[in-house]
Amino acid sequence: MQLEASINRPGEIPVSPAIRANESLHEDLTAKWFLISSISYFFIVGIVALAIAAKFVWPQLLGTIPYLSYGRLRPLHVNGMLFGWLLAADMGLSFYLVPRLCGVKLWSERLGLATVGLWNAIILSAVVSTLMGWNQGLEYAELPLPLDIAVVVAWVMFGINIFGTVATRKYTQMYVSIWYTLGTILWTAFVYLTGNFAVLFATGVNQANLNWMYVHNAVGLIFTPVGLALAYYFIPKSSNSPLHSHKLSMIGFWSLAFVYVWTGAHHMIHGPISQWLQTISIVFSVMLLIPVWAVVYNFFATMRGQWDQMRNNVPLKFLMTGVVFYLLTCFQGPMHSLRSVNAIVSKTDWIPGHAHMAVLGAFSFFAIAGCYYTVPRIFRKTLHSEALANWSYWLFLIGGVGFFVTLWLGGFWQGWQWNNPAIPFIDTVIALQPVWLVRFFSGVLMFGGIVAFAYNILATMIGTERQPSQ
Amino acid sequence: MLHKADNSAIIFVIAALGLFFIGGILTTVVPPLIDQSWAKPFENKDPGKGPTGKLEKLTEQQQKGRNIYVREGCWYCHTQQTRTLQSDTIRSGWRGVESPISTPDEFVYDSPHLFGTKRTGPDLSRVGGKYDEQWHRAHFRNPRDLVPGSVMPPYPWIVGNEVEFQAMVAYLQTLGRAKNWRPDNDYER
Repeated sequence: MQLEASINRPGEIPVSPAIRANESLHEDLTAKWFLISSISYFFIVGIVALAIAAKFVWPQLLGTIPYLSYGRLRPLHVNGMLFGWLLAADMGLSFYLVPRLCGVKLWSERLGLATVGLWNAIILSAVVSTLMGWNQGLEYAELPLPLDIAVVVAWVMFGINIFGTVATRKYTQMYVSIWYTLGTILWTAFVYLTGNFAVLFATGVNQANLNWMYVHNAVGLIFTPVGLALAYYFIPKSSNSPLHSHKLSMIGFWSLAFVYVWTGAHHMIHGPISQWLQTISIVFSVMLLIPVWAVVYNFFATMRGQWDQMRNNVPLKFLMTGVVFYLLTCFQGPMHSLRSVNAIVSKTDWIPGHAHMAVLGAFSFFAIAGCYYTVPRIFRKTLHSEALANWSYWLFLIGGVGFFVTLWLGGFWQGWQWNNPAIPFIDTVIALQPVWLVRFFSGVLMFGGIVAFAYNILATMIGTERQPSQ
Repeated sequence: MLHKADNSAIIFVIAALGLFFIGGILTTVVPPLIDQSWAKPFENKDPGKGPTGKLEKLTEQQQKGRNIYVREGCWYCHTQQTRTLQSDTIRSGWRGVESPISTPDEFVYDSPHLFGTKRTGPDLSRVGGKYDEQWHRAHFRNPRDLVPGSVMPPYPWIVGNEVEFQAMVAYLQTLGRAKNWRPDNDYER
């Protein structure tokens, strides 16, 4: 008990020599299969991403094949990246870190493997359904009802496993990553039920309001908390520094829990929805600055005096760059919700720039860092190539920044043009052509990053170099 | 309580869901109870109060067209909302007349809603009656024949299927027509 108390101070990830010896405690089968699946989808859906970016530049491309038209590939891209890559990677990494933070084995590897199997069946069916045009017509909720039900089942299986592990934990105190993981499981359940089931009982503006509550919180209460769970674990771990403040992480967590869910209606500012509801969503959107700055300050303060580690530590590069993107994207969000700014940027190409910075720049960077950190450990191999990992970082960074910045500038310009009705609409489309061309080539760079990342991880998995025992 | 949530998973669950449900219920369940216009179909007979008209349910053919619109993902690039911005009412307007803004009562029967989030192409909330069938046929076959510089994909499989094409046009001609906003009634069929 003495040992447990001493290793269990707030703000510090519990690690003791006893636990390190217990690394062999963890089978990590579920984590392995989730990571392998998610990285495969990252690569496959990356090709789809390039195809739709290309269609903006060459609109006739694949134009006579219904299954490969823009309107079918876009939901495949969005759902594939969100659920096939990012959420699956997040789940795989949760299966890695939760048992370690609890000091026990995963509650059930068999249940975990069944979850991986079901998840893969869902994603592969989703590929078919989106290409066939079996689209429910609601953003992020395109998948047909049977698949929605399968997602709920898989999520309950995931939740039981994680809650079971937490319930049997050896450390009484729960590190902040555990809160975020548990929060994700609970909130996702209700957010997903709202966005995929409750909407079916509503129409018109009422349905749109439920839909935006889901769309916004799919990012805010699914990818944000699970992404932060990763960041709170991997930043201290890979920099070997204790978290700056436990108390601050609590402020960040509980303010996120309260504030995020109010903001859905900011997707319809100036639109046909009650003005007072728009105002509420604006007020709470601005309040989002509190949880975000609490989180980001904590990460930066953790890194105080440790920044030199950024030079050679690839997971740390991805993590801290992800933190910067998180800060930027969460500064943009509240600003977009202000009516005056919204009148310019809403519905323009600025918005995909913003959305990609959140999901790719912040949360995918956290997940990529997690993969680079965990895969050598769970496969007990050395990373195939540090140099290639570094290349993947720079490709993602340059491609990503190119993508975000050109879409912001282009979108802002587009918004100004729309606000001058003397300019015919088609001229505002033609004006964006160079922007879309740069976006496509930025996408090529990012796809290069995906290839380097996926190859490196794959080569590590099947490689023969065993990790020297620590 | 929040400090105890540090150590107890049960208190944690109650606090996390409690905070979530306060906002969740107040922003999704309560608003339609307060703002009745979300559920009351548009109807106005008094020209003094703005455009007259009545929101009708879609016919079977129009609904078939709407299903195609959903299937092909038209809503990813075309919004259906004339916002409370003058640039929107002018751009949704036609032949020098500004269109009325979109109001919740015009969308009461919509499911899925098609308000959209992105305008790669123009807003379609008032497109009904602006272009005739012949224009749509040529435009769906290859948008660039009529609008040079357009990035809209061609839809030969819709034009090639007369039933689908007619349904699509029938649906498009209903858009924004609950409010009878054209002064000369100069709608195309």
